[in-house]
Amino acid sequence: MKGLPEDYLHYPRRQRGMDHDIYPFRALPAAKPVTWPNGARVALCIAVHMGHFPMDMPLKPFIAPGGMERPYPSYWDYTLRDYGNRIGVYRLMKSLAARSLPATALLSAVLARRYPALMDDLASAQWEISCAGLDMGRLHHSGVPLDEERATVQEAASLLRARFGTAVRGWHSPAHSESSHTLRLVAEAGFSFTTGWANDDMPYVMTTDAGRLICMPLSQDLSDQRMLHQQHLATEDFTNSILTAHETLDREAQETGSGRILVVPVTPWLMGVPHRIRAFNAMLDGIMARGSIWPASMGQIADHWRAQNPG
Amino acid sequence: MTLSEPGHYDYMPWRRRPRITWPNGARIAFWVAPNIEHYELDPPPNARRMPWPRPQPDVLGYSWRDYGNRVGFWRMADIMARHGVRGSVSLNVAVCDHYPEIIERCCVLDWELFSHGTYNTRYFYGMNEDQQRAVIRENRETIKRASGQELDGWLTPAISNDETTQHLLAEEGIKYTLDMLHDDQPTPIRVRSGHLISIPYSLEINDVPLLAMRNTPPERFAAICKAQFDQLYEEGAESGTVMCMPLHPFLIGQPHRIKALDDVLRHVVRHDKVWLATGREIAAWYTEHHLAEAQSWIAAGSP
Repeated sequence: MKGLPEDYLHYPRRQRGMDHDIYPFRALPAAKPVTWPNGARVALCIAVHMGHFPMDMPLKPFIAPGGMERPYPSYWDYTLRDYGNRIGVYRLMKSLAARSLPATALLSAVLARRYPALMDDLASAQWEISCAGLDMGRLHHSGVPLDEERATVQEAASLLRARFGTAVRGWHSPAHSESSHTLRLVAEAGFSFTTGWANDDMPYVMTTDAGRLICMPLSQDLSDQRMLHQQHLATEDFTNSILTAHETLDREAQETGSGRILVVPVTPWLMGVPHRIRAFNAMLDGIMARGSIWPASMGQIADHWRAQNPG
Repeated sequence: MTLSEPGHYDYMPWRRRPRITWPNGARIAFWVAPNIEHYELDPPPNARRMPWPRPQPDVLGYSWRDYGNRVGFWRMADIMARHGVRGSVSLNVAVCDHYPEIIERCCVLDWELFSHGTYNTRYFYGMNEDQQRAVIRENRETIKRASGQELDGWLTPAISNDETTQHLLAEEGIKYTLDMLHDDQPTPIRVRSGHLISIPYSLEINDVPLLAMRNTPPERFAAICKAQFDQLYEEGAESGTVMCMPLHPFLIGQPHRIKALDDVLRHVVRHDKVWLATGREIAAWYTEHHLAEAQSWIAAGSP
């Protein structure tokens, strides 16, 4: 009787731990407790997705969330995203500066070439710069030839390091999409941490053929891009969810004695629009009012975690 | 030959049914079914469904599910334990091999394990009967080895059952199936040999459709679950009802959502006429006390 090919019932990676060699399994309760400066319970990281979406971006094999969703030439999609890099990000900068909060920009590297004035302002604001690939049209996936992907990683790294120097240590794969080579190419290019894998609340170590990377937490499920753009939820659904997440993490820090990390992923073309910025401010004030936070960049949190998790 | 309907159950109007009673005069059997799953990074293709929406490796999809086992499960299990609510685990059985610490925690909490196939990326679509039997038998053995438990319940991975899957379940000694969503009470299931009943699962009160497909914020999710409970609790005064709350740790176990689960369970357990049951317990009670009467009523033309 015809059925599926015999190997459909074979499971070559059915074994203890993961079905790959990138990182071992670790349950959260088994993670080594960490402490943050001044005994803070929760490290607060504002992660700002600063993408550039080319109007002629490829639509295959999939469109990055926020990409050109209407027929070419979609001025609608292009200009709304571009608004974020012209206006929205400046509103976010002002809100964060007013509260002395640092931020980590996950930056499409082409922005360094396109908008040097914006780069100067990010530098003045002392935002940390992570490399989020070249742009949102240059996704990393298994259909990209290895040489082409390597060239993309190298070009993106060079563009940002030419402006910001060796402080560019973090990598974020645009749209959280990767090929099976991406992590190796990222390690090869000298990055030390990555934020593409949304599978934990705490850092852990990934191993590649070109060295190790620290995988830092960055949710896509709890992000303005997912909730406000993809899911069409209300602004307060996002900001309330962030506050609830903080409440949960803060309580866990008290119960376990281990620091936790609250990452707030925000997008200038979403949270930086006029009708949302007050909700953003109120959310930040709500987080700060709970107390015992350590406002930090992604790299600072990675460093503190690494110092307590050597080996 | 294709089926125009499942053909496994008779029409049973919600009125005039023989009365169902639950232990200790409970009106409602409330059970929680956490789906503890492993989605493979590089699964084989299936002609009827591709495992991942993006090209493999789909890092976004994989890491999101992985969060459930690394983080979400532990948070969810703690909240359930705090309310004295056991889980009946819809288990991708390979989890016994990949993450034995999760199985250990389930056993310590006295949770039931039933099969949700081997992996959520291996569908039953297109398997022949021998292949389906091989999976069911292997799942039975693995659950026995990992937990000492018998395999009584079944939910086909991704509800990817084929035309004869329910018959095979009965022939392989499975006691209850969750693949059908036709009722708020257990019902007899017609199979070519052996015995099988259905007990209510849910795709209405289920965090995947609610949170990931219908874009429900956490507070609204809690309100929907409580509304479902309140109605079934009220109707249960006439004849016992079942409410299943299926969960997926990668969704409900996130820090912004776990409070919603806490809220729902607190609401449920403060009612006195609730039977906090497992799938196996509901199936056994119904089979012993109500199945024969239901079959007679159906045979008499549901008078």
